[in-house]
Amino acid sequence: MWTVIAWLVGLGTFFLMVLLVVHVLFALLLIVPTWRICERAGYSGLLSLFHLLPVLGSFIVMAVLAFGDWPNGEGRSAPGTQPVRP
Amino acid sequence: MMGFDLAALLGALGLGSAFAVVGVALAGWMCWRIADKAGLPGWTGLGAILLTLTGIGSLVSLILLWVFAFMRWPRDGAPAVVGFVPASAGRAPVMPSPATLPPPPKALADRRGWKLTGNGVALAFDDAQAAYLLTGEGSGAPGELVVADPSVGRPHARLLTAGGRLGLEDLGTPGGTFIDGARLLPAHGPRDITAVRALKLGNVVLALSRS
Repeated sequence: MWTVIAWLVGLGTFFLMVLLVVHVLFALLLIVPTWRICERAGYSGLLSLFHLLPVLGSFIVMAVLAFGDWPNGEGRSAPGTQPVRP
Repeated sequence: MMGFDLAALLGALGLGSAFAVVGVALAGWMCWRIADKAGLPGWTGLGAILLTLTGIGSLVSLILLWVFAFMRWPRDGAPAVVGFVPASAGRAPVMPSPATLPPPPKALADRRGWKLTGNGVALAFDDAQAAYLLTGEGSGAPGELVVADPSVGRPHARLLTAGGRLGLEDLGTPGGTFIDGARLLPAHGPRDITAVRALKLGNVVLALSRS
């Protein structure tokens, strides 16, 4: 009985570890380019580490980049900064 | 009717699919904005997300993310003005590589002066002086153009005149300087604003015209 439980716990731990490693490796594929995008936008590259957070992490990074004012400037007219013509 | 059909479809596909649809729509919208901010057409960002709906799309989107991160963004394409030299050379302006240098700006025949108007401010100047200082509070020094507003720095930005052209350099104040809505940073160095219609110093919007 205890041997079976020990096997199940061992297998579960093994699969969790594999899942974790795969997740981190895949997150790295996202973190590297996102780090550069964040730095070019003027944010800290550390922001890209949100990709380590499953599911929601990517949305958080995208939301910051999409709705924040880029400290290094933007290539379009930012909302609320349209000139008033006399 | 359409809404009912959509609800039925989502119900049939399950709650997970509903979240997926909302997630894709949200991601598409945000990527549209991100691409737009980088100076690219917004639909390229949306397209990259929609590609994930196809079979090998996720891989394509991942490749596009890497391309986007390391490509040259149109936002970075506006070169610094060659020929405008800041009056105080405490910091060298960022210059593009020689391969991307534009031809040197030519002097213009139009030598009329310039006017900055708006928000109760009316400033006139010409190229009699090589540089003017835009400031929120005047100290009486020559070449000062005072825009009395708390959001305007002291000093805020520098106007440079040369050959009938006008340049602008941000001096790094928190209020920020905007050229036709686009943020100008100190790292950009002096920019040619001869053809620009409006400037924003802090919260003050000024229309630029010839006098």
